[in-house]
Amino acid sequence: MDRIAEVCQFLKTLLAGRGDRQPFTDSTSLFLSGRLSSVDAVELVVLLEELCGIDFAETGFDQSMIDSIDAIQLLISEAGVPR
Amino acid sequence: MNAYAPAISTESTRGVAERLKQFRIIPRLEAHPAVVSFAQTVAGKFVLLALFGAGMAYFVKDWLALSLCLALFTFIPSRRRLLVTVSTLMFTFAVPWRSFPLKWYTVSMIMLSMALGGMFFWCAAKFPRSWYGRRPVFALLSSYAALILAASCIPQSWTLWGPLWLFAHFFSTYVWFIGYSLLDHNAADRDPFQFQLGSYRPFWGSTNTPFAKGAAYLRRIEAKDGKQLAVTQLKAVKLLSWALLILLFGRLFDYCIYQYLGIPPFQMALALSVKRTPLPWYVCWASLIAGFFGGIISLCVTGHSIIACCRMAGFNALRNTYRPLSSRTVAEFFNRYYFYFKELLVDFFFYPFFLRYFKKNRKLRLVAAIFAAACFGNAFYHFGRDLIFIQRLGLVGAIVNYQVYLFYCLVLATGISISQLRHRNPAPAGFIRGQLLPSTLVVFFFCLLDVFGSTERNYLLSEHFRFLSHLFNLNL
Repeated sequence: MDRIAEVCQFLKTLLAGRGDRQPFTDSTSLFLSGRLSSVDAVELVVLLEELCGIDFAETGFDQSMIDSIDAIQLLISEAGVPR
Repeated sequence: MNAYAPAISTESTRGVAERLKQFRIIPRLEAHPAVVSFAQTVAGKFVLLALFGAGMAYFVKDWLALSLCLALFTFIPSRRRLLVTVSTLMFTFAVPWRSFPLKWYTVSMIMLSMALGGMFFWCAAKFPRSWYGRRPVFALLSSYAALILAASCIPQSWTLWGPLWLFAHFFSTYVWFIGYSLLDHNAADRDPFQFQLGSYRPFWGSTNTPFAKGAAYLRRIEAKDGKQLAVTQLKAVKLLSWALLILLFGRLFDYCIYQYLGIPPFQMALALSVKRTPLPWYVCWASLIAGFFGGIISLCVTGHSIIACCRMAGFNALRNTYRPLSSRTVAEFFNRYYFYFKELLVDFFFYPFFLRYFKKNRKLRLVAAIFAAACFGNAFYHFGRDLIFIQRLGLVGAIVNYQVYLFYCLVLATGISISQLRHRNPAPAGFIRGQLLPSTLVVFFFCLLDVFGSTERNYLLSEHFRFLSHLFNLNL
C-alpha cells in the first residue's frame, strides 16, 4: 500500500471513530471544517512522522498542512519523500 | 408471519430513532437550494441583514453600527479582509469613544499595544532565520511575562507605576491576538500587517481568547463565492437564533433554579462553607450542578453570538461550544466546551512541545505536551489575564492566591492525559455503555472540578477541599 493510501485509510478510521461515515475527496477539508479535531491531528502527525520521516519541528506545523489529502500529498512531496 | 413481526418493529423503531436524530429545532436552511438562491439576491441579502440586526439588538448595544459594517461585508465581499481591519479599528476607537474614561490616554495605550504587535510581526517576518524569527511566540510571551514582573517590582510611589500597569492591562488583552499573527509569519500566503491588524480583537467580539483564531484561519475559512457567502450567512442567522433561544432558556433556568427553587449560587454556598455554616450537602450539590450548567449556557450564548457575527461577515468559523454534554471523554469535553480556548492552548503550548520533545516515547510525549498546554499554558493564560490580582497583592501574593486554580489545572491535565491514553481502546457498543454512561462520568468529573475552577481566588485550597468533602457529607 502506498503512503497516501495508508493515510487515507487512517483518516477513514479517525472519522469512523467520531461516528462520521461521510465520504471525502482529496480536496475535502477535514480539520478546518471541524470533521476532525486537534486531538486527531496529533495522531496524524505521529503517523506522518513515522511513515514519511517528516520532522515538523523543522518544517513548522499548522493544521492547514494536513487539512486534506491534497495538502498531505503536497507536504509529503515537499519533504522529498517518494510515494 | 410472526417471524417477521419483530424485524418490522425493530425497523420502525430505527426509523423513529433516525428521524429523531435528524430533527432540528432550527431547520437546516442552508440545505435548501431555493433558500440559498434567494439569499444571493439583493432582496435576500437585505432580509438576512435585517433579521441578523434585529437579533443582534438583544446582544449588543451597538447593533446598528455593527449592522452597517455587516452590510458592507455583504455587498462588497471582494474587499472583505480590508473591511475587517476598518471595522475592527472603528469598533476599537470610534464606537466605544464615549465610554473611554481618559479618552486620549486610552487611545494611546491601545495604539501602543497595536504598534508593539506590528513590531513583533515585522521583526519575525524580516529576520525569519534569526533566534527571534524561529521563536517569535516564545519571545512575545517572555516579554509579556517580563512586563508583568517589571510592573510588579516597581514601587507604587514611582510615577511610572500607574502607566506601566495600565499598559500591561491593555497589552494583556492583545497578547494572544499578536501571538496568532506571529504563528502566521512563516506561511507562504501570509497576510500583510494591515490584514493581521483586523484580527486583533476583531469587531465581531472576543474575550482575551481570539475567537476565530488569527488571520491565517480567517483566510482559510472565508467564503470564496456568492453561494458560499449565502450559505455562511444563513448559518449565521441560524446560530444567532440558536443563541437567542439559549438566552431565553437561560433566563428561565435562572428563574427556576435561583428564584423559584431558591438554590443559592455556588459562590454563596462556598462562602457559607468557609464561614463554617455550610448548607446541607444536597443543597451544595444542587448549587454546584446549577452553576456548572449555568456556565455552559452563558458560554454558549456569548460564543454563539460572536461566531454568528463572524459568519455574517463571510467567515465560516466553527462554533465555540458544540454539544459539550455529548462528550464521551474528558478531552472531547474540553474540545467541545470552549473550542477557541482549547485551540489557543494547542497552538501555543501543545504543538510546540509535542513536536520537539520526548519523540522517542510516545506516551510520555503526549502526556508532557498535555501538561504543557492544559496545566502550564492554562495557568499562564489566566494568571496573565487577571492582572488586577497581581497589581493588588503583588507577584508573590498573587501566586499564593492562585493555588486553587493551579490545582484545577493540574487535575485537568491529569484527567485529559488519562482520557487520551485510554481513548485508544475501541468504544463499547450500545447507547447506555457507549454514550450515556461515559457522558455522565465526564460531566460528573467536570462538575466536581468546578469546585476548584469557579474560584474568585478568595479562599485557600483547603477551603475548597472542605467544600468538596461536604458534598459527600464528610465534614472536616
